Amino acid sequence: MTDDQLERLLENALKRQASAVDEAAVDRVLKRLSGPLPRQKTRLWRLPSVLLNWEFAPAWPRMAALACCAALGFVVGIAGLDRPFDRLDAPLTVANHDVSSIVSEPDSLMGARP
Amino acid sequence: MDDSDEALMARVAQGDERAFQLLSRRHLPAMLGLARRILRNSADAEDVAQEAFMRVWTHAPRWRPVAQFRTWLTRVVVNLCLDRKRRAQWVELEAAGEIVDPTPGASDQAETDERARMLANAIDQLPSRQRSAIILTYGEGMSNAQVAGVLDTSVSAVETLLIRGKQNLRRALGHIIDEDLVR
Repeated sequence: MTDDQLERLLENALKRQASAVDEAAVDRVLKRLSGPLPRQKTRLWRLPSVLLNWEFAPAWPRMAALACCAALGFVVGIAGLDRPFDRLDAPLTVANHDVSSIVSEPDSLMGARP
Repeated sequence: MDDSDEALMARVAQGDERAFQLLSRRHLPAMLGLARRILRNSADAEDVAQEAFMRVWTHAPRWRPVAQFRTWLTRVVVNLCLDRKRRAQWVELEAAGEIVDPTPGASDQAETDERARMLANAIDQLPSRQRSAIILTYGEGMSNAQVAGVLDTSVSAVETLLIRGKQNLRRALGHIIDEDLVR
């Protein structure tokens, strides 16, 4: 038996089974389905669907935004936000007053903390 | 009003029972036929079809149209059928044979039926995925891509399943099948 003959045989046999599905069976199932239906499962927690929908393909606007953020982070990290660019060479002043009396060590006798 | 499967599913997701009935009427005959082909038992096929449509109803709010509704529903039915076959391996009454009808021409019909039953038994003995691929391709007339969508596999894997399925059928049927079955 050739491949074509076997395929035709399968088609004939399986289609014959399909034609045997009667309207009565369809009506029976439809009748069972028309009864009170169970409660639907709603999405209580969206994270699984969010994760499933996550697209890992590169999106160029996002890549550009990421590159901008990286560049900005580099500049801020190098220059610092606390000193303007024109005073980068000026000596660094930590405080205007003597702060040496401010200690946070516990008292040697009492153990009390300031 | 848009009455495509996807639009109806969107309405079913909001609890629209009318849309669910429309969807059921549209797809139930085909799904019942598919379940019957796989299970070869009418009562089981009706149970599976009912369960599949109940799942359509209960899972509608979670359903997302990443694939065609029909493909998804076919997958649900095939999986339910395979589960059921795995659970219960009983012998069906249909496989036990029938009394020969003495009327003229009945013997030819009985012979054809007998051979068709042998073929159905041979299909039944195939591994589940080969059986599903054979039934979906030759019974439902699906393309290899559609079968791949239902079985959640690649097109080349479907081709392999079909080749192996047909080899197994040839081996199982041996000398029994001949030209007069091809009509």
